[in-house]
Amino acid sequence: MTARDHISYREEIGAYLLGALTDVERREFEEHLESCAECREEAERLRPAAESLPRSVEQVEPPPSLKASIMEVVEREARERSGKPARRSLREWFAAKPAILRPALAAAALALGLVAGFGVAQIAGDDDGRTVVATVDETRVPDATGTLRVEGDGEDGAILRLQGLPRLGGREVYQAWVQRGDRFVPQPTFEVGRDGDGAVAVPDDLSGARAVLVTREQRPGATAPSEPPIINVPL
Amino acid sequence: MPDIRNLADEEMMQLIQAGNPRAFELLYDRHGGAAFSLAYRMVGNRVSAEDITQEAFLSIWRSRMRYDQARGSVRTWVLGIVHNRTIDALRRSLVHDRRRETIEGIEERFEAREQTDVEAARREEARSVRTALDTLPDDQRKTIELAYFGGFSHSQIAELLNEPIGTVKGRMRLGLEKMRRQLSEGFVAGGIA
Repeated sequence: MTARDHISYREEIGAYLLGALTDVERREFEEHLESCAECREEAERLRPAAESLPRSVEQVEPPPSLKASIMEVVEREARERSGKPARRSLREWFAAKPAILRPALAAAALALGLVAGFGVAQIAGDDDGRTVVATVDETRVPDATGTLRVEGDGEDGAILRLQGLPRLGGREVYQAWVQRGDRFVPQPTFEVGRDGDGAVAVPDDLSGARAVLVTREQRPGATAPSEPPIINVPL
Repeated sequence: MPDIRNLADEEMMQLIQAGNPRAFELLYDRHGGAAFSLAYRMVGNRVSAEDITQEAFLSIWRSRMRYDQARGSVRTWVLGIVHNRTIDALRRSLVHDRRRETIEGIEERFEAREQTDVEAARREEARSVRTALDTLPDDQRKTIELAYFGGFSHSQIAELLNEPIGTVKGRMRLGLEKMRRQLSEGFVAGGIA
């Protein structure tokens, strides 16, 4: 760490605490914090001021339907968790397969619906769109969760938000796909932060699409999935 | 068995982490209003605020094991998640089109009920924070509001205000420093669970 680095990071403490850094800047800043006791101490000293800000807001009453829609999903997931259905393991399916499948083979696997290990999606909708809960391959990304927010009827795409994903190494990226029949249309790639959270805009028109999927790819620019999806959001 | 309504937030989180939906419902009852209010303050309309609050609470439920008491109160954790989600939404322009008022002119249309001592204390706390914010020099207050409530990055704020980025970063830090001093004289931020 050079003195210049430290000073430039130190100047960003306020922006960091206020959420005014971009994702890339925030990740770099948090890496710096790990190695810089002085910045860490300063951030902790100022943190209560930033954390007081949401408490200054005038209170407005949320509609009762908001609680109802949240609790509907929570109760369903709690029930499923307590009586968890048996899930087929993709590990078995992979047992005789190479770790990285040839794209054509992986695409065929996807087209055949080889998404064993995935549960059933839950949907909460309203007039402006709907939120679909992502199903996750628990054998490969056991801590992952996510939701796809579809705006309107899907013509304007959607936002996929994911949590609990491992950070990838090298040039590896997470790649979103839209499945239309047997075709897989590449969407933007994305990375996740230190906390495992990530989000990606799915800009394609989702009318008539079967699912939004996520795979891990060796590098950006894949034209076909190289593995069965780790995330599957049926539409 | 004690009534879970009498549990402190941190005790309630243990039940939530064990997958208890009733405890989670209580968490929503205690903090859902503040969460919705923060989202509403930031995006300026109820529909987007509802979307964001719903996503945030489902995320809280699914990532409940990540709550660490050592890192702060439950309320701070919940509001932090709502804040991050709202910034994501703003930066992805999901709600920009729906924003109908500026950051300085958001109209408060639905005054919440004020029923309990805790709510009264929170209202008092809100007044203290607003006072601390209002006593900042205008340029520092505006910079902090654009960043925290507007979801703008420091470079966007520099462009909006036609100021160098270094100046904007400096105002953020100075403003927080002054707020910290003022608040520590009045009350300890985060002291009300």
